[in-house]
Amino acid sequence: MDESTSITLDAIYLLFSGDAELWAIIAVSFQVSSTAILISVPPALAIAFILANADFPGRRLFISVFNTLLAVPAVVIGLTFYLLLSKQGPMGDWKLLFTQSAMVMGQAALCFPILVAMGHAAFQAVDKRAWETARTLGASPTLAFYTVMKEARFGLLAALFAAYGRIIAEVGASMMLGGNILHYTRNIPTAIALETSKGEFSQGIALGLVLIILAFTLNTSLQYFQGKGHLSN
Amino acid sequence: MHNTHIHFSDIGIRFGHQQVLTGAELEIISGRCILLCGKNGSGKTTLLRIIAGLQTPGSGFVNTGIGDHGWNKYRQQLRQTTVYLHQQPYMFDGDVISNLNFSLNNKLSRKQRIERINSAIDWAGLENIAKNPAKTLSGGERQRVAIARAWLRDPKVLLLDEPITNMDQDSRLRTIKLLINLKQQGVALVVSSHDPVHFGALTDTLLQISEGRVHGFSTTDNVTPIHYRKHLNAHVKQT
Repeated sequence: MDESTSITLDAIYLLFSGDAELWAIIAVSFQVSSTAILISVPPALAIAFILANADFPGRRLFISVFNTLLAVPAVVIGLTFYLLLSKQGPMGDWKLLFTQSAMVMGQAALCFPILVAMGHAAFQAVDKRAWETARTLGASPTLAFYTVMKEARFGLLAALFAAYGRIIAEVGASMMLGGNILHYTRNIPTAIALETSKGEFSQGIALGLVLIILAFTLNTSLQYFQGKGHLSN
Repeated sequence: MHNTHIHFSDIGIRFGHQQVLTGAELEIISGRCILLCGKNGSGKTTLLRIIAGLQTPGSGFVNTGIGDHGWNKYRQQLRQTTVYLHQQPYMFDGDVISNLNFSLNNKLSRKQRIERINSAIDWAGLENIAKNPAKTLSGGERQRVAIARAWLRDPKVLLLDEPITNMDQDSRLRTIKLLINLKQQGVALVVSSHDPVHFGALTDTLLQISEGRVHGFSTTDNVTPIHYRKHLNAHVKQT
């Protein structure tokens, strides 16, 4: 058995043997990224909806800004929040640096523009008559918004999965803001970076497999939901 | 008998440099039908959208019998009393039944909902298409579903933008039959069309919009039916 096969088998064993350390890392990853997504989705979708439906001065500038933010690297987001949260920074008193909260802030900042930009595209694809029809049939603004969201659900789901995929796999911001502390801020990508630098490839591959399985699950789910939709005229 | 009476006067609206409506006047009364005629782009749709509370007029007065208020208050009331049907009515994802269900009050029980939906299906003759995906319906079927969906809202005023455009004769007759039925139930209708000849049996008042101004002809008030008919014929010849 060659070395790479042996490492891969070790990784699979680690994953399915219930290794506590490995599963603690996975738990931190999902906890931090899920929190970041949950706090980002409501404001991001509200902004996306407004950008798609309202006409106000500076609208195009806002769209350009969010599209630009899509290209900002995770390390730059990490650096920005590091400066804000460090002792000398304006938010230094909050003592959040090297905590899960700091990681959540960084990841929320990363996924926010994705949700806005892709959400905007999804809302823009919905016929304007959907909102008007809902309103003229007596729906409150909240119900009409929910109705339009339902009409845009495939695009919004794609935005959600893309955003989640982006933050659960990013290493730059998590490393700088979380500090890679075992059982507290060490998540999948930072653990992979660390284990690889130590020459411990088994755990790195096991964690990599988790990310690949997650990506596959997200994409398959999206395909499944999209496949259930009817083609619209 | 006339329990709805909405009076719009001196309605004006401008889009950019273009004055779309000037001094438009309109009186909506229960069980009466107003037909708005005019060329494409004459402002018919804009006027319907103002009546529906979907568009804010640049100027004008509204009297709905609730006293003197700002536009927001009137808009709220107009949205409660009117239902606006687009030229090509929008169908939500799902089947015809789920589209009809959208109009129903959330407070109704499941049994009440089913009863009301069944009555709408029966009323509009939608039995054969009730379970079809609404987005795949033909133009005539969509219009009938949209009218049935509006009917479930119990509107005081129904606003229809070019409701029979691009329809075959059978669909046209079925749609007009539903509208006549609604009118008999006391619903006020405001219909826009560039082809008024099909609405002869339905219309009480004919308003012609040209160059942003509304010119009125009534079958019952201002002129006799003969004069109205002459005007209608003249208009048909012009267009």
